[in-house]
Amino acid sequence: MAEKQKLLEIKNLKQYFNVGKPNEVRAVDNVSFDIYKGEVMGLVGESGCGKSTTGRTIIRLYNATGGEVLYDGVNVHGKKSKRQLKDFNRKMQMIFQDPYASLNPRLKIADVIAEGIDIHGLAKSKQERMERVYELLETVGLNKEHANRYPHEFSGGQRQRIGIARALAVQPEFIIADEPISALDVSIQAQVVNLMKQLQKEKQLTYLFIAHDLSMVKYISDRIGVMYFGKMVELAPADELYKNPLHPYTQSLLSAIPSPDPISERTRKRRNYDPASHHYEDNEPIEFREVTPGHFVLCSEKEYKLYQAQSR
Amino acid sequence: MEKILEVKDLNISFHTFSGEVKAIRGISFDLFKGETLAIVGESGSGKSVTTKAIMRLLPEHNSEIKGGEILFDGKDLTKLHDKQMQKIRGHDISMIFQDPMTSLNPTMKIGNQIMEPLIKHQNMSKHAAKERAIELLKLVGIPKPEIRVNQYPHQFSGGMRQRVVIAIALACNPKILIADEPTTALDVTIQAQILELMKDLQKKIDTSIIFITHDLGVVANVADRVAVMYGGKIVEIGTADEIFYNPQHPYTWGLISSMPDMDTDDEELYSIPGTPPDLLDPPKGDAFAPRNPYVMKIDLEQEPPFFKVSDTHYAATWLLHPDAPKVEPPEAVKRRQNQYVGTKGGK
Repeated sequence: MAEKQKLLEIKNLKQYFNVGKPNEVRAVDNVSFDIYKGEVMGLVGESGCGKSTTGRTIIRLYNATGGEVLYDGVNVHGKKSKRQLKDFNRKMQMIFQDPYASLNPRLKIADVIAEGIDIHGLAKSKQERMERVYELLETVGLNKEHANRYPHEFSGGQRQRIGIARALAVQPEFIIADEPISALDVSIQAQVVNLMKQLQKEKQLTYLFIAHDLSMVKYISDRIGVMYFGKMVELAPADELYKNPLHPYTQSLLSAIPSPDPISERTRKRRNYDPASHHYEDNEPIEFREVTPGHFVLCSEKEYKLYQAQSR
Repeated sequence: MEKILEVKDLNISFHTFSGEVKAIRGISFDLFKGETLAIVGESGSGKSVTTKAIMRLLPEHNSEIKGGEILFDGKDLTKLHDKQMQKIRGHDISMIFQDPMTSLNPTMKIGNQIMEPLIKHQNMSKHAAKERAIELLKLVGIPKPEIRVNQYPHQFSGGMRQRVVIAIALACNPKILIADEPTTALDVTIQAQILELMKDLQKKIDTSIIFITHDLGVVANVADRVAVMYGGKIVEIGTADEIFYNPQHPYTWGLISSMPDMDTDDEELYSIPGTPPDLLDPPKGDAFAPRNPYVMKIDLEQEPPFFKVSDTHYAATWLLHPDAPKVEPPEAVKRRQNQYVGTKGGK
């Protein structure tokens, strides 16, 4: 990829809940990043750090409190006619975490998958609609006969495949996968991740892959963003992030992942992250700065210089 | 080493509307004093059923221990009366459950929940029990235990609740602690803390731990020995190093290669094809045969016995039979074997 084309620009995105009340939550607080066409962007962090909320705000399941999400240069948020919204919804799709809760138990699989096709009028006849459904089922490794069954007849891995087929039905360009494998068994996880990777190559998709399983994220992602308490603290190419983590929170997170390797586990030293360790002064500007090309860290001016010296 | 628990040829079935589900089909293993034995396998492989049988927590109306023995302290746990079992449960053998959100009583102060086993099993006075409860909360790393002891579960976060559950399980210094996916519901950072805590406590009170999980990273972190279960049987058992660096069973190969490690790059992840066996009608030969890329004719006809790899390492696969053809394990497994030979000189 010589010239990377920006597909999505997220600028100062804010998502607050209970605004103005004493229990105001800043779930996403001033987060900015870009997603390039054809890449897999990973988003990691512990529960409650705002990674899912970021995903859901990007696709406008929530209305943003502030900031912009530009898709191909057009703002997703703000006033939109139904028609314009429908266009966006076709380009962006989502795969949800829980394959048990995300399929309507009263719809047949064919109708689950074809819902988007119907809404967007992508099939001219009943026959074409069913052909499309069969094709999609085959793409995700299920078969024709499954179309007339109900969700309860499927295992978790199969359901997640149905969720993927549903997302693909409207031929989207961009897919947000919110912890698509966390609810699955290890051996099934590999199947679903392989499928997602293969589909990405075939259909030139762009993914935002949200997860807390860091080894899987590293495997699938080109770049990874680390979130902590609603803020993005570090963003870097996947290899770079693992080889040269700069922000102390990233370091602590990486030191916490157990790897399937008893010898290295025995010598593992875990690091704790203490937000007070930065010793920021009151008015010190804490900004998202580019330390080396493509590697961004949330830091103060002083830390920035330190990080730059470290990365040399 | 001293054996603390012996499971011999255990068979367990569930009676359902569609027939008899043979969930556990003849498993045997020993648990030694002070060790951590991890049991791994996919959902439905029988790992939870095994531990529930040890605790005698299987539902009585539809489950049946068809045969075998669970020997603890010279007694066969499968034959004990309810009253006798109650004396052991929570006292000699205790359990940590998967979901800290639902394994505590929401209407009881956590102090009272920790005191319960102390008063029941050790005849402590209420006052002494409360003091011990505060001590236990301190032990599992809960700040301000004097205040926390009077609080309700909803006032604790997930990680803190799991610590409380651990405190309850450890209250009577059990000889065996069974942990059924204790960290699956927790974040990586919290998981690391809980694992460290468990290892630390194990050193202090010399408990044996049976650790059930499907996360091989966690296994590598905690286990001394590993048992791999598939289709209601143990297919391979050995020390952690033997299972991770010199696995022999094709199912273990599949499990290990389906997890990306930090060095896995662009190659496709290996995934085990097919689905787990239907235990309503278990297959005749090796239960893994239909999904096994190295399947041989005998796998479909006859169940493989355990072949000895080393004194501590056994695997049930016909590939280890002297007459079996030599096969090449998957790339990821070979890499591990080389790494092992490289670091330890082959041992």
